[in-house]
Amino acid sequence: MRKGAGEPPIVLYENVRKRFGQFVALNGVSAQVNKGEVMCLIGPSGSGKSTLLRCTNGLEKIDGGRIVFEGESLPSDERAMRIIRRRMGMVFQNFELFPHKTALGNVAIGPTTVLGMNEAEANARAAILLDKVGLADKAASYPANLSGGQQQRVAIARALAMEPDVMLFDEPTSALDPETIGEVLNVMKALAEEGMTMVVVTHEMTFARRVANWVVVFERGAVVEQGPPTQIFEAPHSARTRDFLSHLGWGG
Amino acid sequence: MDFDFSPLVESWQYLLGGLGITALLSFTTAVSSIAVGLAVGLVRLYGPTWLRWLLVFYIDSMRAIPVLVVLVWVYFAVPILTGLSFEPFWAALFALTVHLAAYVAEIFRAGVESIRPGQSRAGLALGMSRRQIIQQILLPQAIVRMLPAFGSFLSVTIKDTAIAAVIAVPELMRRAETIAGQSYRPVEVFTTTMVIYFLILFPVTRVVDSFYRRVAHLGRS
Amino acid sequence: MNLDWSIVWQSRGALLEGVLLTILLTILTMLIAIPGGILLALMRLSRSSILAGASTSFVELFRNLPLILVVYWAFYVMPVLLGIELSPFTTGLVALCLNVSAYNSETFRSGINSIRKGQMEAGVALGMSRAQAMRQIIFPQAWRRVLPVLASAWVSLFKDTSLVSVIAVGELAHTALQIRSQSFRVLEMLTAMAVIYWLLGYPQAKLVDWIYRKFGITE
Repeated sequence: MRKGAGEPPIVLYENVRKRFGQFVALNGVSAQVNKGEVMCLIGPSGSGKSTLLRCTNGLEKIDGGRIVFEGESLPSDERAMRIIRRRMGMVFQNFELFPHKTALGNVAIGPTTVLGMNEAEANARAAILLDKVGLADKAASYPANLSGGQQQRVAIARALAMEPDVMLFDEPTSALDPETIGEVLNVMKALAEEGMTMVVVTHEMTFARRVANWVVVFERGAVVEQGPPTQIFEAPHSARTRDFLSHLGWGG
Repeated sequence: MDFDFSPLVESWQYLLGGLGITALLSFTTAVSSIAVGLAVGLVRLYGPTWLRWLLVFYIDSMRAIPVLVVLVWVYFAVPILTGLSFEPFWAALFALTVHLAAYVAEIFRAGVESIRPGQSRAGLALGMSRRQIIQQILLPQAIVRMLPAFGSFLSVTIKDTAIAAVIAVPELMRRAETIAGQSYRPVEVFTTTMVIYFLILFPVTRVVDSFYRRVAHLGRS
Repeated sequence: MNLDWSIVWQSRGALLEGVLLTILLTILTMLIAIPGGILLALMRLSRSSILAGASTSFVELFRNLPLILVVYWAFYVMPVLLGIELSPFTTGLVALCLNVSAYNSETFRSGINSIRKGQMEAGVALGMSRAQAMRQIIFPQAWRRVLPVLASAWVSLFKDTSLVSVIAVGELAHTALQIRSQSFRVLEMLTAMAVIYWLLGYPQAKLVDWIYRKFGITE
């Protein structure tokens, strides 16, 4: 039984289409993200995984189909969309920490600016979250003085500060040195174990194999196959999935 | 409010002549400023120390003194000092060159300094002499890197020629002033002059920009 | 060639007034042209094509005209267009403000654009509005890039104030040229004028260099 199957999905993608000029990035993608599920999107570069993620929180607008979040279609009005974004957290490939703020400042900026929380409360919440990602001692450090892995963990804490219902990860470890990838994946694994709903675009197949509840394989803007990791990685139904995994040297 | 463009229509040849002088002064100033400016820039970077100090002093002084002041000084004061007298055009050419060459020298310096030091080191590793490195590796890249600034340099040059009006160089600005004064139709005259200058200046930066975009890759290291 | 440099000392009062007026013009112009430039930049970056178009037209117009022409045009045409007589000082100020606002707006615009797109996205992803993200994330980063260029613009403006002398505003250039005409001490006054500008401008130029070194792009 798929995790979270008893309840309505947090995110539902119905035949989503997206074009950039002539290039078709998403060609009718249908899928759903259940509550408490970790869904990994894998596939070659340019296959549409990141685009789907960015459409989910409205950074990109879709051209066809619909995306339903917690029972409601994503609005086209920007102001309404902004309110919905509070319930989604996003972690970017190149962290995008705000360089002019400390780690604590970065984590607190969402609550203060968007939720109107007062500074003391926001800072308290930020401190707790930094501790949770293992960076309590770096609260006063600026991003320039943090390693890539540390910056990404701060970025995760920043997104968590908004207490989202779903966390969107856009290739969170692709820009990291191999030594620091582990610390970020551990934080993500802990988050998954706590029951956070997560959509993760990643090339880290070991992570997907071990932590994901559901894997969606993309190729050229379409879903080639989707299923639990045991299916995708050990007994894939589609030849294209097999090709993609063997290209990555995936031996299991 | 009635408009009367007839003074412009009557004197169109006079104005056109002024435009010709503007073009001539701009062109000659640009050429001489670039020649002098590049020479100054080279010596400022690679010359003997005492000369470098002198040139830095000259370049920084031109950042402090307005073009108007240099123009007026060259035209009125130099004859007193030297006993020579200049025609306004030549005085303007000289003064503008002195002022703009400093600007060119700085653009050149910025262009050269933006080239990665590894490029020179690669030349050294190949056994090149300093002069060869400058000539074969640095200069070609520097010139490409200077191109974007070239557009604004040309624009500044043309605008500065209009200031030469104050020393009676018969270029467009001066002639527009004359017609405006004689015809008592300053609104029509100056508005038309603005249109003419805009039509000259607006394409200048665009053309240089599009040329640059095509050759930019040659300067990237 | 007989020179009498005492004229410079004798006119020191008038010259000082000229200097003060030059400084006043520069300060007033920047006080107007900095907010003006920010406004124009934001208009150009806004989603409204009307605002963007208006701003672009204004900026492109005043960047592509010789300042001396704008000074003359302001002097002759503004009274006709607006129906009121403005003093030469105000006219000169208006011309300078139009010109410098246009330049500053490009400075602010490229400063804002130089901040990575991802920074705006990260702010938006947290639920900020574009305006909030501009204020909290983009501006604080952009001002470091903008400051050196503004300092440079200040020094250019200081020199450009000499151009309003053509409409008889009593700043330094006009004052010095008047004294020259009245006293016939051409070489002395012109040299004094150049030296005074140098004394005022050279330290400013060096200050700009220092600002560039201090605030140079570190990212």
